[in-house]
Amino acid sequence: MIVPWRDRRGRLLPLKATVLAMSFIPATVLAYWWAADMLGARAVNEVIHGTGDWTIRYLMISLAIAPTARLLDWPRLLTVRRIVGLTALAYGVAHLSLYVGQQNFHLGFVASEIARRFYLTIGFIALLGLGVLGWTSTDAWMRDLGRRWKLLHRSIYLLAVIALLHYFIQSKSNVSEPVFVSGLYVWLMLWRALPMAWQRSVLVLPPLAVIAALAAAGIEFVWYGLASGINPWRVLAASETLRFGLRPAHYVALVGLAVALLAAARRVGGLSRSRPRMA
Amino acid sequence: MRILRRRGWELPERMATPEVFVLGRRTALAGAGSIALAGGAHADAQRNAKYAPGRAITDEKYATTYNNYYEFDEGKDLWRAAQALKQRPWSISLEGMVKQPRTLDIDDLMKQVQLEERVYRHRCVEAWAMTVPWTGFPLSQLLSIAEPLGSAKYVVFETAQDPKMPGLSSPFYPWPYIEGLAIDEAANDLAFISTGMYGKALPPQDGGPIRLTVPWKYGFKSGKASVKISFTDKRPVNFWQALQPSEYGFWANVNPDVAHPRWSQARERLLGSNEMVPTQIYNGYGEFVASLYTDRKSEKLFM
Repeated sequence: MIVPWRDRRGRLLPLKATVLAMSFIPATVLAYWWAADMLGARAVNEVIHGTGDWTIRYLMISLAIAPTARLLDWPRLLTVRRIVGLTALAYGVAHLSLYVGQQNFHLGFVASEIARRFYLTIGFIALLGLGVLGWTSTDAWMRDLGRRWKLLHRSIYLLAVIALLHYFIQSKSNVSEPVFVSGLYVWLMLWRALPMAWQRSVLVLPPLAVIAALAAAGIEFVWYGLASGINPWRVLAASETLRFGLRPAHYVALVGLAVALLAAARRVGGLSRSRPRMA
Repeated sequence: MRILRRRGWELPERMATPEVFVLGRRTALAGAGSIALAGGAHADAQRNAKYAPGRAITDEKYATTYNNYYEFDEGKDLWRAAQALKQRPWSISLEGMVKQPRTLDIDDLMKQVQLEERVYRHRCVEAWAMTVPWTGFPLSQLLSIAEPLGSAKYVVFETAQDPKMPGLSSPFYPWPYIEGLAIDEAANDLAFISTGMYGKALPPQDGGPIRLTVPWKYGFKSGKASVKISFTDKRPVNFWQALQPSEYGFWANVNPDVAHPRWSQARERLLGSNEMVPTQIYNGYGEFVASLYTDRKSEKLFM
């Protein structure tokens, strides 16, 4: 039998096994909190939000795998991308299933809600798309679709935008978390837009971090300006200072700079290790 | 088909709390030794049978650990943080269009009113609900103490802004938290000022020491920790209306048929249970309050 943590000859693949095992951690923790009655008066709601959060997190992790593999010179990382993507799908399916359960399994009501509430409609579309990608993620589908497979699976870039919009709209008034994730998404897409030769460059990473952070501040400004009575200029001004604590744009910048440092460290470490061979 | 419509207080026998529990609770509270004036008064308040909720009272554990209170936190897990809000001394200023503006100490106020207990259904705009035994007094009693002028059309409740409230440092919100009622709504017997719940003083996380309780409207209308009650002829812009004018309005009466722009209001989840029950118009209090709105049909009464 073929299992994800062994290769075709039956040898254990430690990286894949680890990533697969880790994918169960958030679900296990959520289930434990739920079972131990630690989620308060509306536990189902908390678990629905928790699984939704992890869907979007795993989606972002799946998009971060290519840049990480390239920047840290770690091509083997690409082998776990399918597991990560399927994990996002699994959390998404759990997210929807729990919502159906919360509505006492009234499928007719659920269907009418999905049709009538815009944020549910797009969330459902994003999940359907993710389902198609999951279904076609097998080696057989890759072979059969050939070059079209890559084209099909690039639709994840669009699906992620839809999922982020769902994340924004379901927020009450504070959109800090979706703004932060959107900033990371901008970073991931900008990196993809770089010329191939620059995608391994450490030097482009600091400006990339700054641009992604500015984009996050811009997204935040536009959202509050369009969707709320909050004065967007005050929100923007809050990102120009640290007086109100770290704003989402600051976190995006910090993550971007951390990536730059990691890549630089790897480059230095990689060089020192390769030096004896050169000598 | 004949539709049997029960009045609010006509509840089936199975809904009634057995006497032994009611008496047992009072005895237990009375025996708890030296009880502060407020606490004792709350335990002694008689339950008003007119407003029977028709469903089980929410477990106190849930009603006191799950709610919105943006002054403390944007999430629901804020009851620990709220303990920092000092409940005494506490005074309430009566301002605007009143015969004599003045400041009232909460304990002096409570000596001037008749405390009673009312079990009200509470419906949050986020589609969750609870059933709470509040103690306090009808808002109409406070109106007669305040003596508003005939020209006053609205009463406005302002929530405390205390240094112990971390949420106030967020620059985005239109603090202070303002809520308001039309003066005839405020005079309706259902409009209530709560100073206690579950036979005890109102805990800080639930709006202690004193708050508005208007059960036929979405929960955000019931302002917490009141420090200022003013009378005006201009309709106030309440906190959530200022924040999201496309989603929240002034009247905010509960109506299952008028969806929130983002979600259905048809049903509600009872806190601490897995039950999803149908929401009722005016949260089931139509027989008492619907007549307030017969001449206001052109207004957005349900957002």
